[in-house]
Amino acid sequence: MSGPRAWPAARRPVIAGLGMTAVGKVYGRTPADFAADAVRRAVADAGLQLADVDGLLTSSGVTGGISIDLQRDLGLTDLRMLSHLQSYGATAGTMMQVAALAVMSGTASVVACVFADSPLQPDRSAGAAYGTRRAPAGWWGLLGASGVIGANPMYALAARRHMARFGTTTEQLGHVAVAQRAWAVLNPAAQQREPITLADHQASRWIAEPLRLLDCCLVSNGGIAVIVTSAERAAGLAQPPVHVLGWAQSHPGHYLRRHPDFGLVTGAATAGPAALEMAGVALADVDVVQLYDCYTYTVLVTLEDYGFCAKGDGGPFVASGLLGPTGKLRLNTGGGQLSGYYLWGMTPVAEAIIQARGQGGERQSDQHDIVLVSGNGGVLDHHATLVLGSAAGAS
Amino acid sequence: MTVGPVDRDAATAEFFDGATGGQFLLRRCPLGHFSEPPSAVCTTCGSTDLGWAAAAGGATLVSWAVVWERATGDTEPNHTVLVIGEFDEGPWWWSQLVGADPASLAVGQRLRVEFRRAAAEHEAVPVFALA
Repeated sequence: MSGPRAWPAARRPVIAGLGMTAVGKVYGRTPADFAADAVRRAVADAGLQLADVDGLLTSSGVTGGISIDLQRDLGLTDLRMLSHLQSYGATAGTMMQVAALAVMSGTASVVACVFADSPLQPDRSAGAAYGTRRAPAGWWGLLGASGVIGANPMYALAARRHMARFGTTTEQLGHVAVAQRAWAVLNPAAQQREPITLADHQASRWIAEPLRLLDCCLVSNGGIAVIVTSAERAAGLAQPPVHVLGWAQSHPGHYLRRHPDFGLVTGAATAGPAALEMAGVALADVDVVQLYDCYTYTVLVTLEDYGFCAKGDGGPFVASGLLGPTGKLRLNTGGGQLSGYYLWGMTPVAEAIIQARGQGGERQSDQHDIVLVSGNGGVLDHHATLVLGSAAGAS
Repeated sequence: MTVGPVDRDAATAEFFDGATGGQFLLRRCPLGHFSEPPSAVCTTCGSTDLGWAAAAGGATLVSWAVVWERATGDTEPNHTVLVIGEFDEGPWWWSQLVGADPASLAVGQRLRVEFRRAAAEHEAVPVFALA
């Protein structure tokens, strides 16, 4: 036995609390307000008091607005750890890793990790929240002036490369969208709960071809916080402990540089196996998978990189009937970012915790002892993998 | 299909001087390796001693995407073809592809660089066209 499983209970990192605000078209609240609300909810969920928190890690989304000032908003005093982290969509995973290291080292004993954002406004489209930032000068200005603005075109270029190299099709991407919507139907917290068909996907308009509207994630307001503490501390608390068994990051560093892997192989290919090794489990041991799904394509390429299928076979793999509530692969069981809600890396982390606890209601996986979670930031530039386990999975 | 306005800053001044003269400038290290224009270090050897050198102008198509505006009324929505071009010197660049039917595109097609301006008071923006 190696990795966190072998550490003494006083140092073994465990997720003891999960707090989620109202999510979606929730208007009139700032990111900082969502963040404070989420932390309070997570602390209450754990059966702790705010004063028990001695470490706070904050992160913000596209609208910013969150900083270490959150400490004062929460009235927290004498913290032993406080920092604002940023690795874009991988931040939720990296925060959990920093929190786990803090617990392991004794730097802090109860660490709150929080993300919140409020990009949606009642008077503008969801796409406008992410698509209209145009710098006037410099390299970013040049890219914007060229039309290379926002995530949609860059991910479309990545997806096209995968298609051109491996023969992946828009219909195959559609299978991911349809399956995740079927999961979202079972999730009361999901924003999109009307079932869709492959024909609906194929009829949805192009956003950045080869990506259609139904290939793209939602835009959401809200906040999620997670409490990380030790197994020893968690034993007497309110929720079933979710053990943080393994983790790894990968930051390839190829953005806006020539690289043969662009669109074909991501940092998940190294972070995934490293996290599984740390956890002492194999891919075949994984019961539930929660993948960062900013686009359907991201799910497909991450499945390949984690080794669920051979490189290049992601298209046939997702179209084979394995996905969705009737399939064998328990993947993005809350609907993910495509149909559930988009709170960056906290979307897969939160659903992973719910599943590992066995609190997924209608969408709960029968087997949920080992849960694999991915985070993806930038344009496939930043990756964080977590391996979480139930009490049985950690034994 | 038009380019937007962009102004120079300290990091891009020489690049836009080149663009004004119809040249796409790459970074080049003393060993002759080429890197993308925003590079601060040579992507091949890590040298920080980077000068500027004009690309010959030939490139090949690495990937493409077609960004569609939302349809309004009965009119066909506007679209912009975006590409990654690989210069013959090695570096990649991201910009529009002008004057091409997206249905006809394939990886490896030959490209050349052109320059467009949003307005006379703004900098020249490199775009690709089929060679």
